[in-house]
Amino acid sequence: MISRTKFIGAVEIGTSKVSVLIGELSQDRSLHIIGVGECQSRGVIKGAVADFRAASDATHTALMAAEQSAGTRIDEVYLAQTGGHLEGFYNEAAVNVSSADNMVSALDIDTVCRLAKSKNLPDGRMVVHHLRRPYRLDGRIVPDPLHLVGQRLEAGYWTVHGPEGKIADNIHVIRGFNVRVAELILSSLASGTVLASPEDRQNGALVIDIGAGTTDFVLYRDGSAQMTGVVPVGGGHLTNDLSLGLRLTEGQAEKLKLRFGRATITTKDRAEKVWLNGDFAIGDRQFSRYGIEQVTSARVWEIFEVVKKKLGPAFSPEKTAAGVILTGGTAKLPGIDEAAAKVFGVQARLGEAPGWVAENLRDPGFSSVLGLLQYGLTSRAEAAAAPRRKAAGWVSKLFATA
Amino acid sequence: MSQLTVNPPPTRTWRDIPQNVTPKAMTREGKKRLAFAVGNIVGLVLVIGAAGWGIYELVSVWETNPTRITAAASNVPIRDIALRTDGVLDKAWVTRTLDLPKNASLMELNLSVLQERLLATGQVQSAVVTRKFPDILAVTIQERSPVARVMVRSGAVAPQAYMVSRDGSVYQGVGYDQALAETLPFLDGVKLVREGEGFARIDGLEQVSDLLGTARTNTPDIYRTFRVVSLARFSVDGTIAVKSTEVDEITFGVVSDGFFKQLARLDYILNETRRQTPPQPLKAINLAVGGSQVPVAFDTPVVSADGRTPRTSAKPVAPTPFGTALFSPPPRNSSSSKRDF
Repeated sequence: MISRTKFIGAVEIGTSKVSVLIGELSQDRSLHIIGVGECQSRGVIKGAVADFRAASDATHTALMAAEQSAGTRIDEVYLAQTGGHLEGFYNEAAVNVSSADNMVSALDIDTVCRLAKSKNLPDGRMVVHHLRRPYRLDGRIVPDPLHLVGQRLEAGYWTVHGPEGKIADNIHVIRGFNVRVAELILSSLASGTVLASPEDRQNGALVIDIGAGTTDFVLYRDGSAQMTGVVPVGGGHLTNDLSLGLRLTEGQAEKLKLRFGRATITTKDRAEKVWLNGDFAIGDRQFSRYGIEQVTSARVWEIFEVVKKKLGPAFSPEKTAAGVILTGGTAKLPGIDEAAAKVFGVQARLGEAPGWVAENLRDPGFSSVLGLLQYGLTSRAEAAAAPRRKAAGWVSKLFATA
Repeated sequence: MSQLTVNPPPTRTWRDIPQNVTPKAMTREGKKRLAFAVGNIVGLVLVIGAAGWGIYELVSVWETNPTRITAAASNVPIRDIALRTDGVLDKAWVTRTLDLPKNASLMELNLSVLQERLLATGQVQSAVVTRKFPDILAVTIQERSPVARVMVRSGAVAPQAYMVSRDGSVYQGVGYDQALAETLPFLDGVKLVREGEGFARIDGLEQVSDLLGTARTNTPDIYRTFRVVSLARFSVDGTIAVKSTEVDEITFGVVSDGFFKQLARLDYILNETRRQTPPQPLKAINLAVGGSQVPVAFDTPVVSADGRTPRTSAKPVAPTPFGTALFSPPPRNSSSSKRDF
């Protein structure tokens, strides 16, 4: 009997690190995480590959480490996609229900979906995701309109697209390891899948994944993703700000950020000083704690403001009852939830991985790769359930073109 | 709605990006994995190819010279022949008939040829020859059982008694007990036709077999007196004539009453004639007429010298001066013995 077990690698090529998880997918149903690999990233700027060889070396090192820890070889890869080059737009379409008894058929659904996805992209750009918002039948939201009675069926898609070259670069980095990319998944979607519960998504939630080079976000409403986006600003900019403001090297600034950085200013005593290293060795210097907090909090607030601005009218505190869920390496910054709550005007919390995730993978930095596996598994299950409608679509097409 | 609107051209997605990559763009580990994958495929192809070639060779050798395969399979010589039979043939006969090559192994034997050798003997109705590894040849035989004998003259050689089975096969009986074989009546009134090494089957033997079987079972004393069974008139009027030590000709009918009834009447007639004083030698009894009357012919007239009819409970009807009589067996349950005909 042929084994139906697959070993899937979830890979996120981030600006500061490359993370790899290996999941053992049995019978297309159950998933076990059996390997993990990490490596400091090189050749990646703000989520985009800038040096192919360096990025390949770093990614392949992480892949090898994961394979070694899993004791097996990866069959295919689910790859996270991020970067300021990704953009999105919303397009919707509506059709009149074709049957005489006003019962929605598979053909109606297929037609409205194809129309909603049919908007042309600028040259050189290609689709990464078509995220469907809930169907509307005569104005009411329905999860599946098939066989319901109505007159007008509407469907809308949030389409995420990016330049072909940059997307291909990421794929070729993986192909350089001689593994096929089976799914390309937006980082924010991956994080949202694992951190936002179905109830959160139904009530409305904003998931913000603040990485080193980029900040990815996804807004959920009515149970599905309404809008996604990438801001090319991340935790690395906090380090850079400290480096410039305090005249430090990047390493020193990073150290200060991790030890004393905050997203909200809590220090009252402006004269309070902190040591750079704390070992009183030559070169050890003192810095104003208030100053450090001021720099980091200003940048964090700015990031949130940019996200809010990008969301525009799509975001409203009333329709985001589940609040803001924060994740990513920079989400470990103290007070970041407080800052987010103040900027967005809703409650904010740090995302927590589900209970089935092992302790060593509960760090916010792993939420994207965890989400890749979960999203990939869900999409596989949905694809497996789809043939019923696809068959109807094929028959419909046959008659439509006759 | 126009067709173009309903079926808009699909937008390009990331899946349209070709995922083939040249080894140049690979890292060392990628190249290693590629080499491993290629090695796997080559290995798989080689294994499949080797298996295919092996099967091809096997088939071609099997078609041309199967002994090459069999010789390779096993070289252990046959130790014994295991015989199962429902008749009288023994292992010595099977060994002689099969005539196996010396030190032959099981796989060297052509079983269908061996089976044909066994079936060449008419006494063997069916034969199954199988290999019982590692070194036993199993032979299972179903034999024909003889119902009569027939004298066969072949050229200048003195006539020989052959056996005839229920299905009409004529064969030289092997291994039968001489005393038992001599109890079998001879068959007469048939024409033997040569067919290959043996003879063509004789028609009517099923009925003869039924008659003799019924006689042997129910009237063994009468059966023992049967000497010759003639089928001379079988094809004409469906009668079987039997010559016994007591009666020159007893005629049985196939289409009339069953053999059991006919034999019962015969038994009655023989008993009645034995009781007569003096006993009247019987010449012919015709049981094929059917009904309640049996024509019986005597060697001498039925009427005795003193002009009285013989004393018998049966009623010879209208005795004739030529020694023939019609026997009417008593009606059912009328006699004291209450024998049922």
